Amino acid sequence: MELSASALEHLSLAGDATHIPDKSFGKLVLCACQGVLLEEHRDVVADNPAFKDLDKAVLKSGYSGLVTLLLEAAKHDSTEQTISTILEECKYTPERVKELNKIFTIQKPHLQLLIGKIGSSFPHIVDIDWRLDYYMKNNHMEKVNSAVYLISLKTEVAGETELKEVQFSCSLEQLQDLVGKLKDATKCLEKISQV
Amino acid sequence: MEEVDRIIIHSLRSIGCDVDDQVQSLRQFGTELIVATVVRCLKIIIGDIDLPSTLPPGMSARFRLGASLANQVQDLGYKGGDLGYQTFLYSNETEIRRIFMFLVEKLPKETSQAADEPMGSSVLLRRAISIEIGTQLAAAWTPPFLKKKGIRSRTKPPGWQREGACCLQHYHSCQITTPTSVGNLAVKIPKELRAYYNKQMPYVTNQTPRHRDTAPSVLEANALEVAVQQDWENEWNQVGLASRLSQQEFKKRKQDRLLKLIRERLQQDSQRREKAGGLSGATGDLQQLLNSIESQAGAANVKTKGSRFANTEKLQYGKDEEKTMSQVGAAVPTKDTEEELERKRQEEVDSLRSELAQLTSDLEKLDLEVRKFTASKQQMEETIGAEQRDAEQKRAAYSVKKRTLDLLPDAEANIGKLQSVVDTSAQRLVNLAKQWESHRGPLTEQYRELRQYNSKRESEAQKKLEEIKQFRARMKEVADDARRKDELQKQLVSEYERMTKDVNRSAYTRKIMEIVANIKKQKQEIDKILVDTRSVQKEINSLTGKLDRTFTVTDELIFRDAKKDEAVKKAYRFLAALHENFEQLIKTVEDTGAVVREIKDLEDQIETESNKKVLQNLEKITADFQEMKKENTALMAKVKGKK
Repeated sequence: MELSASALEHLSLAGDATHIPDKSFGKLVLCACQGVLLEEHRDVVADNPAFKDLDKAVLKSGYSGLVTLLLEAAKHDSTEQTISTILEECKYTPERVKELNKIFTIQKPHLQLLIGKIGSSFPHIVDIDWRLDYYMKNNHMEKVNSAVYLISLKTEVAGETELKEVQFSCSLEQLQDLVGKLKDATKCLEKISQV
Repeated sequence: MEEVDRIIIHSLRSIGCDVDDQVQSLRQFGTELIVATVVRCLKIIIGDIDLPSTLPPGMSARFRLGASLANQVQDLGYKGGDLGYQTFLYSNETEIRRIFMFLVEKLPKETSQAADEPMGSSVLLRRAISIEIGTQLAAAWTPPFLKKKGIRSRTKPPGWQREGACCLQHYHSCQITTPTSVGNLAVKIPKELRAYYNKQMPYVTNQTPRHRDTAPSVLEANALEVAVQQDWENEWNQVGLASRLSQQEFKKRKQDRLLKLIRERLQQDSQRREKAGGLSGATGDLQQLLNSIESQAGAANVKTKGSRFANTEKLQYGKDEEKTMSQVGAAVPTKDTEEELERKRQEEVDSLRSELAQLTSDLEKLDLEVRKFTASKQQMEETIGAEQRDAEQKRAAYSVKKRTLDLLPDAEANIGKLQSVVDTSAQRLVNLAKQWESHRGPLTEQYRELRQYNSKRESEAQKKLEEIKQFRARMKEVADDARRKDELQKQLVSEYERMTKDVNRSAYTRKIMEIVANIKKQKQEIDKILVDTRSVQKEINSLTGKLDRTFTVTDELIFRDAKKDEAVKKAYRFLAALHENFEQLIKTVEDTGAVVREIKDLEDQIETESNKKVLQNLEKITADFQEMKKENTALMAKVKGKK
């Protein structure tokens, strides 16, 4: 995990007891978590009476430092140990380090869910409807007699609440080919998980 | 032996052989399993070999596989007896154990090397990814309606994870501002900026238009700054230090260089464009861009002057507006009928429009004229300059001529005067030259000294620069080293944590130590027994010696007496018989010992032979033989059928 020079500066401001007293520090960390996580709490620091008497510029600076640290730590799935080393470099007292770690450990899964939301993906298959038709003849041919699979894949698409459908028909061989490809993909994943 | 088997089976499992958990010793290995594991080992040791990992059904194929396995193992340097297809197909425990010990010994070097080498963060990341994917794969499928917003909870490890694509959002970030150097007392912040920080600036989480862009924006800002810092450090180390400038100067120079480059490129392009096809709109744009860049590069405080056209336009429109305002003001108080008002308005608009048209045409005309005038003015200025220069020259020529003409009447005297003047001035010139020489000597000396001094300083500076560079490189190296070691330590810690589950290792070492101690004890015992045997041997030797001596003495004594006495003769005969009998007895005892030893040997042999599963293997061989025969006949029948 790497933090930029300005982020470290902000962070050390947040840890400075002359600027932000010990009793407000925990609240500030909590506010940072809430502000990042929930839209309705995005300005929760400004409304909190605990920070009324503080220098707002310093508060904003420290707040941004904490937000950066929390997000980066969640992104890198950092352990308490790595966070502690960074905070010690910013001259934090052990109590503050402990307090921040306590809050972070609770909030980490939430933060990771939030960050995990960012990105794009192909439509995600969640379900399938299928039908097997028997195709007997047409106007050109008296006897066709082949099986036709009608497949409808239900997919999740980013930004949509309803499931979308992908429909196609295929012959037995094509379906087998598809199944083979899917099995290959599964095997590939299993191989990756066994490294 | 069980210990050895367990070690072998453990290491076989660790390389990914599919050995059943219930298999505890090599005795339980079947032909199938043996072949599979040997192939696996060979694949790991040699890398790419083309061997099937399962036993083929056909007998001849089996035989070929066995033979090639034997070849491969011998190629690796196996020296434990003769090796052939029978070793694998009709196995016996000891041989298989020997082969596996050999193979396992060959094996672990690579893997242990891989473990010793420091793994980078990428390896750690890959491992973390594979663990995560493993846990996600292990989870059962859940229908999407049971996952709220694509989030499902899990119990091992406890937490939540995201599945599906329904709630993904595209990466989108905004610029984020944070107060800079607020805590640093050394940096003065302007009052206005401080007021902005205090009152107006929103909190980081409240800056983006959409709240969900907050996290990407913060992450991006951090990553950007880190990247820029790294990039700058690289550049400074490589190029910046050598240029011997301060950081600000270096940055300024770089900026200038870039601006110049851009300007030149744009100029070239615009020229090319003009050559290609007149002044089109795009070139005008380019020209404008060029102008703006030049004005920016020149100085920040020089404001761009608007073109004259723009100024006049402004004036004109200003007047127009005033006019319309006054007209409107005049129109308002007289309250006419609506029609009249409408008409008036129409009229007004028409008149204004015509006025505007006229004005614009006037303007254009004027503009043209102005342009013409400026052109003619320039021309005029040029001609004036040329005329002036001409006049100057003429004036100079005139003065020279006038003076010479003045001198003409009294030519002789004047020539003499001029000569003297020339002489004196020549003298003076020589004098001056002398003086100049006298001044110049020490000065040049001084100059040389200074130059030398300067060059010395320069070289010193160069040296110092080199040193600084070296120090920086060292610093970087040490920092890198520290980081690497940190990483290594972290990784080793994690490795160690993973290892602790694997108690086998310490148990093995302990067992090995025990075994070694046992062997030592046994060796001591053997030594003791050897000493015992030797002492017994010695005793036996001394006893036989004694016996021999006593016998010869007795023999002699009795023989001497035997000539005189008949009874003694008898006794002598008895003695001889006794001796002979005893000798026979001893021999028998020795023979018995030898036989007992032989029996023991034979028993051992029987043991080993029975270990070799000869009967079983024989049965198997006969069965295989039968099968092969059958195959052969089938093939023959096929061949015949083909014919």
